[in-house]
Amino acid sequence: MERVIAFPLMGNYYVPSSFLFSKISDCEILKPPPITSKTIELGSKNSPDFVCTPFKYTLGTYIECLEMGANTLIQMGGGCRYGYYFELQQKILSDLGYKFEYFNLVSMGHADLKNIYKIIKKINPKLNKIKSLYYFCLTIKMVKYMDKVEDYIRQNVAYEEEKGKLNQLFDSMLDDFNMVKTFIGLNRVYHKYKKLIESVKLNKPKNNIKIGIIGELYTLMEPFANNNLEHLLENYGVEIKRFTNVTYLLFEKGKKTKKYLKKLDNVKYKMGADAMDNIYYTKYLIENNYDGIIHIKSSFCTPEIGNMGIIGKMCEESDMPVLFISTDTNTSNVGFETRIEAFYDMIEMRKKNG
Amino acid sequence: MKIGIPRSLYYYYFKDLWQYFFEYLNIEVIVSPETNKQIMDLGVKYSNDEMCLSMKNYIGHIAYLKDKCTHILIPRIDNYGLSNQTCTNFLSTYDIINNIFDINILNYNINLKNNETELKGFLNIGRKLGINKKYIKDAYIYARVKSSKIKKEKVLKNLKNLRSDKRKILLVGHPYNIYDKLIGEPIINMLKSLNIEIIYCDLFYTKNEYDRYSKGLYWKYNKENISSISKCIDRIDGIIFLSSFPCGPDSLVNELVIRKLDKPYINIIVDDVESSGGIETRIESFVDIVNEL
Amino acid sequence: MDKCYLGVDIGSISTKGVIIDEKYNILSQNYIWTEASPISAVKELISTLSIPKGYKLSGIGTTGSARKLIGLMLGANVVKNEIICHAYGTLNYYPDCKTILEIGGQDSKIIIINNGIITDYAMNTLCAAGTGAFLSSQSKRIGVDINDFGSLALSSKNPVKIAARCTVFAESDLIHKAQLGYKKEDIVAGLCKSVVLNYLNNVGKGKKIKEPIVFQGGVSKNIGVVKYFNEILNTKVIVDDNSHLMGAIGAAILSSKESSDKEYNLNMNEINFETKGYECKGCSNNCEIVRIIKDGKLIDSFGNRCERGTIAK
Repeated sequence: MERVIAFPLMGNYYVPSSFLFSKISDCEILKPPPITSKTIELGSKNSPDFVCTPFKYTLGTYIECLEMGANTLIQMGGGCRYGYYFELQQKILSDLGYKFEYFNLVSMGHADLKNIYKIIKKINPKLNKIKSLYYFCLTIKMVKYMDKVEDYIRQNVAYEEEKGKLNQLFDSMLDDFNMVKTFIGLNRVYHKYKKLIESVKLNKPKNNIKIGIIGELYTLMEPFANNNLEHLLENYGVEIKRFTNVTYLLFEKGKKTKKYLKKLDNVKYKMGADAMDNIYYTKYLIENNYDGIIHIKSSFCTPEIGNMGIIGKMCEESDMPVLFISTDTNTSNVGFETRIEAFYDMIEMRKKNG
Repeated sequence: MKIGIPRSLYYYYFKDLWQYFFEYLNIEVIVSPETNKQIMDLGVKYSNDEMCLSMKNYIGHIAYLKDKCTHILIPRIDNYGLSNQTCTNFLSTYDIINNIFDINILNYNINLKNNETELKGFLNIGRKLGINKKYIKDAYIYARVKSSKIKKEKVLKNLKNLRSDKRKILLVGHPYNIYDKLIGEPIINMLKSLNIEIIYCDLFYTKNEYDRYSKGLYWKYNKENISSISKCIDRIDGIIFLSSFPCGPDSLVNELVIRKLDKPYINIIVDDVESSGGIETRIESFVDIVNEL
Repeated sequence: MDKCYLGVDIGSISTKGVIIDEKYNILSQNYIWTEASPISAVKELISTLSIPKGYKLSGIGTTGSARKLIGLMLGANVVKNEIICHAYGTLNYYPDCKTILEIGGQDSKIIIINNGIITDYAMNTLCAAGTGAFLSSQSKRIGVDINDFGSLALSSKNPVKIAARCTVFAESDLIHKAQLGYKKEDIVAGLCKSVVLNYLNNVGKGKKIKEPIVFQGGVSKNIGVVKYFNEILNTKVIVDDNSHLMGAIGAAILSSKESSDKEYNLNMNEINFETKGYECKGCSNNCEIVRIIKDGKLIDSFGNRCERGTIAK
């Protein structure tokens, strides 16, 4: 039987993940269909009620992929319940009658390289250790470049003279990333696009509105899960700062959290998943004179529920506007837009009136 | 000096240990009363709306204690080793509480991954209270021995009940829910009045016997709960799962276990202790099912 | 000719409209049920509003959940969200107002105002629990007319505690309480009280509720809910006779601020206006796009998540 691999969608990270798997295995890689209302319906119908939303989204995607012929499913994991998704999802899917193999790469928030290597070895027994390590590092670099460029775009896309230019360049950069074979090639592509992207003409007003978005990782990174929050804000002409990305979560978090904790005088411990990190970001956004903070998470996200009170208190003490949003599988676009629009209007009014 | 101990959350794991520890040191202790409406209302008032019922309960007990003692004991439990984690609420309670109330918190941390053991935690408490190390160590050992003995008695009784002639139902849930006056106790009383022998999931000595139901489980307290099912599944007639809304670990683990279970069960999720929406009816009909087996 | 302005607030349950003059006096007003069809509701509403002699319509503002659609249909010069409109409307009548509590059909919100500027606001984060839609579905369940709901609640001496954090819990709890034989008025009062508690614990959490407090939205007409707000906040909340119109008034005021010399007309009957929803296949995102067709001509579309959807015009 030929292996057909599928993994859940999250933002643009499909590109590096499929790149990696295409290089270290000769399996077919199935591109999951975009998340639609049907995906979510499938996911919710088969999930327990009070589980957090990413469970329902990824389960829905798996069902769609299995229907399309996938037989090997890959799940990541995180420092909270995310790490336990895989076992229940596996059971639910096999109860539904699907036949497949299921691999969980990150458990309990640890990206244990040895374990990942073991899993990949299972998928591709002919795996060459050196070759796979090479492509692993290449992919990491790719993710880092991607996140860097996206960070820049987030801060500037609202102000481009020719609408759509930055995202268009970004998309073709991702296309070109898919073709690279070596570090030299990757660097060449990156620098080429970096130059192009930085030379896109911007009309950035001096006193522009800057909003930081923080919260639970999946909802932050998957546009469908956050009702296209970033795009909405761009349309209002807002500069966006988002800290959470894969580079941070997998490669920087371990070191940075200790630093963050030292700088916070209102928090003593890590609070699970990214709860404490987000408190630090709040401090950062306040100190750097941002105009507002949007805290977004899926319903029932325990760690982020825990930090809301603390973040709310910090914002109140420093007169920083903050908007808390819980998304669920049935969050309507209209209600969502109203909240964001009103938040923007409020900030604008406050700014005008000093 | 008077140490306040909230009768909620951690209390149900450590009550004997704490009681004997402070008794040995001759330090006065005040334990908040059984949860009542006033305490629950305080919890709702001070907590975030989306928090689970058990967190609200805990915050209520602290609100009750805050003017009645010099310190409030709030431990933090990160993990008991690599795949023995706790719910993230156990990681964050200290900081959440510290940012809600202006109180003097007596805190220790358990993080075995980082070699921060319970004993070290108690020594830390001693340092904060200005008590010498040797004395604390003695108190800790005294409390450990005493509390283990109590646990042993309870476990033996639980095992004895397993041999009862009555219908036996295993109550699976976190001790802070099962033994709470307003969350679990009404259910326990109902079962008793229906002549059911209740087997408690926390009163077993288990050694990671959960893998019959879940292989990748990494929450210590859920491991214990689920292991108890493996321990006695052949000798019980039914299982009641009791959770507080919307418990993160339970939402996944209980669903997985239920899918693999071949015994009658019900899954009870409590959100509001004052209006338990027909739990009584559900328990009664469940007991009917169990009785007809 | 004096100028006048139309404000329309299209909520999920009711559609409200006002015409005001330049001093913001109400010249004409009405409200009707939306009944899931904003377009026909607005058509009907407009036909009942009249511009008095000697006035010309110089601006139209729309707000509410269907504001975009109706804004296009009427050719509005201002399309603004409910929060801003409610604040403007309310501040016109209560310039000192510090807190606006609003419970509508599907949304509930709180707006904090300082010196006439919105400084903070929040909306319900979770589901429709505790909103107007929730109350009316529960009233049907226990067989009480929603209009009698408030007065029935007032006659209760012992409100029953109802779990209202989540609709799922609330419904099963309600059925249970009804089966236990609680008096109807006590259940109704319990529902009113739980709406208030739920609101203060969710939407109002951590917000500094300072007087004067204005309570509005459809649910503000429920005297039972008002009673429990007063009781729990230990104050007297202001409920204006026109409390349901504040959003529409705010929209009209905003449109007056942005008005030009253009004259608008209200002759809706001749315009054939419809919307068509379809799934965009332009890219593979399958967005649900609403196309708005006026007199057979496509005038706009929205609902697209990416730029490609706009080409689908």
